[in-house]
Amino acid sequence: MSERGLHRYVDDLLHGRRPRPFVAEPFEAAQIRVAIEVRGARTASDAPSERFLTDLHRRLAAPMPRGQQAHDSLNGPHATRRQVVVGASAAALAGSAGIVAGAATAGVIPDGHARAEGPSMQPSDGSWQVVAASADVSAGEMHPFDVGSVVGFVRRVNGQPEAVSGVCTHQGCRLWFDRPLDQLRCPCHSTAFSPTGQVVNHLLVTAPEPLPRLEVREQHGSIEVFVAQKPPTEPA
Amino acid sequence: MVADTESRYPDWGAVYADNANWVYRMIFARVCNYPDAEDLTAEVFLAALRPLRTTASVAQVRGYLRVITRTVLAAHWRQTMGCEITSIDDVPDVTLEAEHAVNSTTAQQVQRVLAALPGNYRRILELRFLQGRSIKESATQMGVSVANAKVLQHRALRLAATLNEEKEEQ
Repeated sequence: MSERGLHRYVDDLLHGRRPRPFVAEPFEAAQIRVAIEVRGARTASDAPSERFLTDLHRRLAAPMPRGQQAHDSLNGPHATRRQVVVGASAAALAGSAGIVAGAATAGVIPDGHARAEGPSMQPSDGSWQVVAASADVSAGEMHPFDVGSVVGFVRRVNGQPEAVSGVCTHQGCRLWFDRPLDQLRCPCHSTAFSPTGQVVNHLLVTAPEPLPRLEVREQHGSIEVFVAQKPPTEPA
Repeated sequence: MVADTESRYPDWGAVYADNANWVYRMIFARVCNYPDAEDLTAEVFLAALRPLRTTASVAQVRGYLRVITRTVLAAHWRQTMGCEITSIDDVPDVTLEAEHAVNSTTAQQVQRVLAALPGNYRRILELRFLQGRSIKESATQMGVSVANAKVLQHRALRLAATLNEEKEEQ
């Protein structure tokens, strides 16, 4: 068995570089664990730098565009080295701690949504709302939007717009689009959804529901999503 | 550091100032490299801070940050290595003191494993991992060739991992 990945990983670790990932066998993982533990026992090496703390503070203080994820626009030398893309502006963690709340959460789940599986609901009471300019939604991109009561992502499939909810079906946390993996990811419990809303992986006891699909149309150079005024009386 | 865990933070800036350091240290202890530790810390605060209600108590905020940190770390390992290398215990209401105790226990465990290794194995790990010496410096210190020092390091890690696994099984 080649241990090149392991040796390179340990070497990176010892040189203070970001270790290059590889798919580790269980015993390789055990060796990396030991390497980290022993390296971590080195004293006075675990304090964050002032530069990093100041930079992150600045990033957190920066205003976030409505409906956008916190794309790391700080690509200068002081930005973090990995693109951090986290849905944060209203990431409503309605978890056990119950200490955060997002204004968009309460109304977002049922309104105007239909489940990805099963019959689509046809809400009759609501309105079409513009979520993006047609030109802004290109193939292969998940374009985030937030119209107050509905948060989601729109993309093009064979030229046609499709939209899914941007809120995790588990506890209502706001999802972010992981472009390299082409997944919608939940920051709260690491659930990942495909762009169509299907669960790709999760750590929960019971798999969460797929993401509701949204009624979407394109006209007059805009992409619109149907936003119902009232939640449906029957669950989907 | 805010001592009274029942008190409240005045704003998110205070949350950040009070917690960034220990969140970073908790992550660093589990990835042991600055680039990943910085990115994961940023990920935690970007995900956690903006939706945070500052009416939550200090203890609640810290518990929440710990949960987010735990999931961010788990996702990091799954994405980079395909399995979880290190983790943060899923223990509610863990105090910062308890986190220090965890680190201290890990340090003791490291010392136990090192002590159980043959002399040359222990020495190479101490030189390379604890003292931060290069492979060349370590080889010179030990009076062996660089090639030998590399082999010793690889074998020492393998044996240390085996001893660690045996301990966990006990």
